[in-house]
Amino acid sequence: MWKRSASFVLDNRPQQSAGGGGAREQTLAAAAATAVSGYYQTRAEHHVLVSEDWLEQAEEAACGRGESEAAAGRGKGGGAFDVIDEFNFWRKKPDLAEAVAAIMALSVVIRSSEATTMMELEIELKKASDALKSSDLTSISLSAGCDLFTRYVTRTKALEYEDFDAAKSHLIERGEKFGELSLRARRIIAMLTQDFIFDGCTILVHGFSRVVLEALRMAAMNRKIFRVLCTEGRPDSTGVRVAKELGEVGIPAKLLIDSAVAYAMDEVDMVFVGADGVVESGGIINMMGTYQTALVAHSMNKPVYVAAECYKFARLYPLDQKDLAPALRPIDFGVAVPAGAEVETTARDYTPPQYLTLLFTDLGVLTPSAVSDELIKLYL
Amino acid sequence: MPDVQELVSDLVLKLKRRRIEGSHACAKLTAELLRQVVSHQRVPYTNQAAALVDAVKAVGEKLISANPVELAVGNIVSRVLHIIREEDIALTSSALEGLGFSAGSDDDDSHAERDDHHVGSSPAVVAAAARSTLRAPSLHTLLEGIPDSASVRYPSSSGGDSEGKSRSDKSSRTRKLKHAAIEAINELISDIDTCHEQISEQAVEHIHQNEVIMTLGRSRTVKEFLCAAKEKNRSYRVFVAEGAPRYQGHVLAKELVAKGLQATVITDSAVFAMISRVNMVIVGAHAIMANGGVMAPVGLNMVALAAQKHAVPFVVVAGSHKLCPLYPHNPEVLLNELKSPSELLDFGEFSDCMDFGSRNGAPLLHVVNPAFDYVPPKLVSLFITETGGYNPSYMYRLIADYYSADDVVIQQRKSGSGN
Repeated sequence: MWKRSASFVLDNRPQQSAGGGGAREQTLAAAAATAVSGYYQTRAEHHVLVSEDWLEQAEEAACGRGESEAAAGRGKGGGAFDVIDEFNFWRKKPDLAEAVAAIMALSVVIRSSEATTMMELEIELKKASDALKSSDLTSISLSAGCDLFTRYVTRTKALEYEDFDAAKSHLIERGEKFGELSLRARRIIAMLTQDFIFDGCTILVHGFSRVVLEALRMAAMNRKIFRVLCTEGRPDSTGVRVAKELGEVGIPAKLLIDSAVAYAMDEVDMVFVGADGVVESGGIINMMGTYQTALVAHSMNKPVYVAAECYKFARLYPLDQKDLAPALRPIDFGVAVPAGAEVETTARDYTPPQYLTLLFTDLGVLTPSAVSDELIKLYL
Repeated sequence: MPDVQELVSDLVLKLKRRRIEGSHACAKLTAELLRQVVSHQRVPYTNQAAALVDAVKAVGEKLISANPVELAVGNIVSRVLHIIREEDIALTSSALEGLGFSAGSDDDDSHAERDDHHVGSSPAVVAAAARSTLRAPSLHTLLEGIPDSASVRYPSSSGGDSEGKSRSDKSSRTRKLKHAAIEAINELISDIDTCHEQISEQAVEHIHQNEVIMTLGRSRTVKEFLCAAKEKNRSYRVFVAEGAPRYQGHVLAKELVAKGLQATVITDSAVFAMISRVNMVIVGAHAIMANGGVMAPVGLNMVALAAQKHAVPFVVVAGSHKLCPLYPHNPEVLLNELKSPSELLDFGEFSDCMDFGSRNGAPLLHVVNPAFDYVPPKLVSLFITETGGYNPSYMYRLIADYYSADDVVIQQRKSGSGN
């Protein structure tokens, strides 16, 4: 069906040997039956109820310490506590980023853990994160979040703290604060983009990204005068949603069908997209159509800017488009598809780094090559 | 203090009147002035770093607004701010460590809890956290903690060692910070002085026997780079594009010939004609931007395009004082300077076209003489600075080393409103 690169095989090997194979096959089978990527399913669910108060909602979710206590209680009461349920609980929260949900779930793992040494805790966490990752192979920010948190736990020297309990409570605290951090990240990114949006410019937006929206909103608040062209974003009509959100804050928006990108490109000053994941090469994985938009922009010498929080940096190195687990979703063509015709149902594509100009992250404005640098620093 | 004020306004005036030629001179004068400012600044007992930072910032603001196009001034101001912050943190962490050794464990526990939210963390952790605030944020410090801007900005010069320390002890620490900062600024000045030598040391690695090098205009860094290769007995030829309208290329050609190099002067319009014979283009720069783009003397974008067309390496030699932490936004307009038209035309030559009496008083002929070109990063093959050769996409790393994130933001806002 799809090829795996060497790195992909390597990454999966330890978890297979850990004996989670059976469970994974099951989930894979389940995924195949519905043929819809879990990641995109939740995305779709969330975006139905996207409203301006997503910020408050997420803030509430992030600061709702009581809820997390309750969640921990749930975990303990049930005896056999399931990290995937926990993750799904957090994931259901509208506008709580995937990676944040993963880290929340993992901090609950630590809370309910009965380990007495750092090593035990690490092993437990590794198991939980492998289980999480295999529950949805299509979500890049989920695996990136898991990796980030396990890495953080490994790096935290228990020796720096008086005893294991202090270290543990420190970890839990950090994990639960992560929600706040992700909100802060969006604000930082929005602030960084302000210098790049100038008066009178035309911005092409492809796909629905909360960060991009936040950046545009902030620019409108700073009284920048600009207009936005939104691609339609078939089949989820992401562009329609973007246009609606922009209309609410008074930013002039124009909708294009996806195939009009090249036609409209000469009046565009910059392309602005979000990302599902940023990979080690500095390229991004994003909604289907980002690659072609970036290609057109590149050939017409327009800058392509990506806004992504740094917890979306993933240790993947896709060599081509088919190198990733495809995230599938149903596509409604509006007319009957002739029998025997195949339908490409992949939801996202990979944009190589040479077509991207700059990445706005909460670590600052980065060139694509800086991404691998950051990842190397983390995993050194 | 009054004499420092005088020095400041003197330099501001010079910058405003564009009396200082070149970013090297600007950088050096700025650094020397800031050294004066630091050494004359009275520092309070608490929060000395903050006092120094504020003083330097105030002077820096004046200097930058005097000539916003000369990016080297802003660079040096940010570098000096970074130096002060770094020295402060170095002193604080060493003081904290000393405290940790001398005091009992329970005592230092109470310190840590009061200063920081790290429960039961040791002084080493606190110091590490303080140090990490200086660095640009990175993935692996992402989870370490959310810095509370107020408490972290000037970490604990006042807090950590406030008790159990005598007054004299503290004033010695005050002097220590100032002394260390001045020492570091001196180092910066000598770095600026020696950058040409350090860059030209690498010349033999890049210029080979019988090669043909092209350059445009005159840059001191380029001249010393070429001469250094000659001194190591490399024989090669240099094409010098004259660099209209100032024709500094003529001067460079003469200087090279005096050193025994074989030089050929060509017109700027002959660059495309000659580029196919060239092995490497070596040029100087006005400033290097954070994305790896270059503000360079006018005409260089054309040379860069010619080099790209014929796949000739385009090498930029520049000292690290030209490294600017800002991203270019509309650089052709905002970071450019229009020079006097007298460099293009003699006075009176076109006076009949410049009839202000006709129409609505606007002349028919306009003369525009921009000073700089913006060369986008994809046209640059290599940057050679005193620390070695770098790819354009690596510039952000050098910037993270030289500047702290706080200062960059402040400067950005300033230059944004200044323009």
